[in-house]
Amino acid sequence: MLTYLLRRLLLMIPTLLGITVLVFSVMAMSPGGITAQTLIGGMDMKPQEKQALLDYYNKRYGLDQPAPVQYLRWLNNVSPIGFVTDAQGQRGEFSFSKGMDLGTSFQYGRPVSDILAERIPITLLLNLVTLPLTYIIAIMVGMKAATQRGSAFDVGAGMSMLALWSIPTMLAGVLLLGFFANIQHFQWFPTAGISSLEAQDMPFLPHWEEGGFVRGFLLDRIWHLILPVICLSYGGFAALTKLTRTSILENLHADYARTARAKGLAENDVLWKHVFRNSLLPLITVSAGLLPSLLAGSLIVENIFSINGMGQLAVEAVKGRDRELVLSITWISGFLTLIGYLIADFCYTLADPRVSYD
Amino acid sequence: MTKPVISRESFSARIWRKTLAGVGVKFGLGWVALLVFCAVFAPFLANSMPLLMSKDGVISAPVLEYLSVEDAWILASFFIALAVYRLSLAGGKQILLFLLGSALAALAVNMFVKPPALVIYDDFRSSAYTQVDWKIMPPIPYAPVDYLRDLGSKGLEAPFATEGHTHWMGTEENGADVLSRMIHACRISLSIGLIASGIALAIGIVVGGLMGYFSGIVDMLGMRLVEIFEDIPTLFLLLTFVAFFGRSLYMMMVIIGVTGWSGYARYVRQEFLKLRKQDYVQAAVASGLPLTSILFRHMLPNGVAPLLVAVSFGVAGAILSEATLSFLGLGVVDAPSWGAMLDQAVKSSTFNWWMAVFPGGSIFMTVFAYNLIGEAFRDAIDPRLSDKAGVKS
Repeated sequence: MLTYLLRRLLLMIPTLLGITVLVFSVMAMSPGGITAQTLIGGMDMKPQEKQALLDYYNKRYGLDQPAPVQYLRWLNNVSPIGFVTDAQGQRGEFSFSKGMDLGTSFQYGRPVSDILAERIPITLLLNLVTLPLTYIIAIMVGMKAATQRGSAFDVGAGMSMLALWSIPTMLAGVLLLGFFANIQHFQWFPTAGISSLEAQDMPFLPHWEEGGFVRGFLLDRIWHLILPVICLSYGGFAALTKLTRTSILENLHADYARTARAKGLAENDVLWKHVFRNSLLPLITVSAGLLPSLLAGSLIVENIFSINGMGQLAVEAVKGRDRELVLSITWISGFLTLIGYLIADFCYTLADPRVSYD
Repeated sequence: MTKPVISRESFSARIWRKTLAGVGVKFGLGWVALLVFCAVFAPFLANSMPLLMSKDGVISAPVLEYLSVEDAWILASFFIALAVYRLSLAGGKQILLFLLGSALAALAVNMFVKPPALVIYDDFRSSAYTQVDWKIMPPIPYAPVDYLRDLGSKGLEAPFATEGHTHWMGTEENGADVLSRMIHACRISLSIGLIASGIALAIGIVVGGLMGYFSGIVDMLGMRLVEIFEDIPTLFLLLTFVAFFGRSLYMMMVIIGVTGWSGYARYVRQEFLKLRKQDYVQAAVASGLPLTSILFRHMLPNGVAPLLVAVSFGVAGAILSEATLSFLGLGVVDAPSWGAMLDQAVKSSTFNWWMAVFPGGSIFMTVFAYNLIGEAFRDAIDPRLSDKAGVKS
């Protein structure tokens, strides 16, 4: 198992490199390419200042050099081992402990790592709340549909899940926002952000005060998250429900299930202890594929609900042609996806002892 | 004893029969047919000029004078497709004939159709077009880019809110009729869906086929390539491509195609891995056929069935991609698009429900239709799967 894990981790390196090469070449091949000239608006700058800034960018990022050189330079800065470079872009000696430097965002003028450190937790929070919810609903509905196969519930659930699956996230987002967070209709939920300003000073848990009920930080956060999480989760559980249903149906009539019933086990025990455990495998496989789609989904959801997460950042970075930011975001989302696949493969062995990777 | 029934029905005919048996798929095909109808006849369904009018005894059809090159080409291609379909020829020949015909049509249209360079929509509301003996207007008497400024439209008005002229689905931010724009947007949606998935399919088949046929080192390298495209969230890759390459419609088709092939490659690879050791493939190799012939003439037709399923889901995905890009403000600039219209639903803190419900609804219906068709295909192709799903075939 250890050797397998090691091999997988080593195989990740060429993939991650490939991702950055791909994105970098897209940016370099685009009309205009990445030059210091395209980065600087400079309408309100004096010519000398502009020239100074141009020189700085060219020195710092080597933007006046051919694209492959630029890429190697970027790679050298990002990789934990490589040549040490100083602020002027001069190359020093080779080092194994120079640390990673994601560079400075052109658009915000701040280190990319700082910006990402702010944004990633928000997107992760959104997705980590969504994922268990997706699974719980999918397993509940799928199980009920499978055990009552052919009933009205089964047919209805099958049809409505396909319909749910086809609703574009942006339509759901816009409708929910419009009807449940807008002054014109029901103003039940906040329209933007993931917490209100005053919530920062509140204690964590909700409680009663002299002035009345205080929401507290937790409840405020949940209140802000309800609509975005609905938007993120419905597509996932629609697909998962169908999968759960087929997978459980397959096992429900298996020989071992019949044996368990013949032994006199309660139907619930047969269902949850035997059938369910054996139906888990396809659910786990899909969980790996769910992660990238969740990341992509949060791109739209964050845009609609004005949440300052990584998805929002990705749109801003791409619109602003912010090379360092774009590269870092693709790199990190690719990394997260690969880790997701790895975890899924690992869970596979936990759920089914017959699976081993040696 | 029951007699064995010998069926002379071909594989494709059986799949079609089984696919069409469902209720959902009929609805799906019906919706797609409606979209095709709207896309082909858009200038006659929603336009500002009369279809036919008689002035001083002279009968004229202004709509035909203003038909753009694109309009004429789409119309010609549609009728060529119909004619080719009526001919009894083999599938491949039909496709070739259609492509040839539509290329000729493109040439002819470019030579002969000369629409006026500038269309002033105000003219159609002047006396030259209103004081006539009789005229037949299109069902929706507004062109998609007729911003009705001369009628004092302020834009973003709810259905039936405007006095003097009826907008069934309201107006958008520049004051153009939403229904008219939606009809013309069918074109973008359909063409993106078909051409983008066509490109993705072509790349996927070539890469996946080579991977599956050669396996070994080619497979290894190909898998890395597939992984690279799979591990970046597609939408993000798409955003990067569009932001750096500009936003023309054709560019978008290519980009959505180029980013979306990895799924097809996986499918084809899997099928080809199964097929490559079969006797007929070995026989083809032994008789020294060229590689393209082995791959595409002998192996592909036997591995194409599961691809059909992937394609119909893929078309839905491509349509969704275009809508999402337009929604995020990275779509085609002036052409009407459902996604771009949906974006106007929550502009300036008011909620314009008609901008969400109608364009969003048609995106949903289109995606739903293709998903239904894909589902029906899958059940028809793999009866074992449909048994598992509890649907009797």
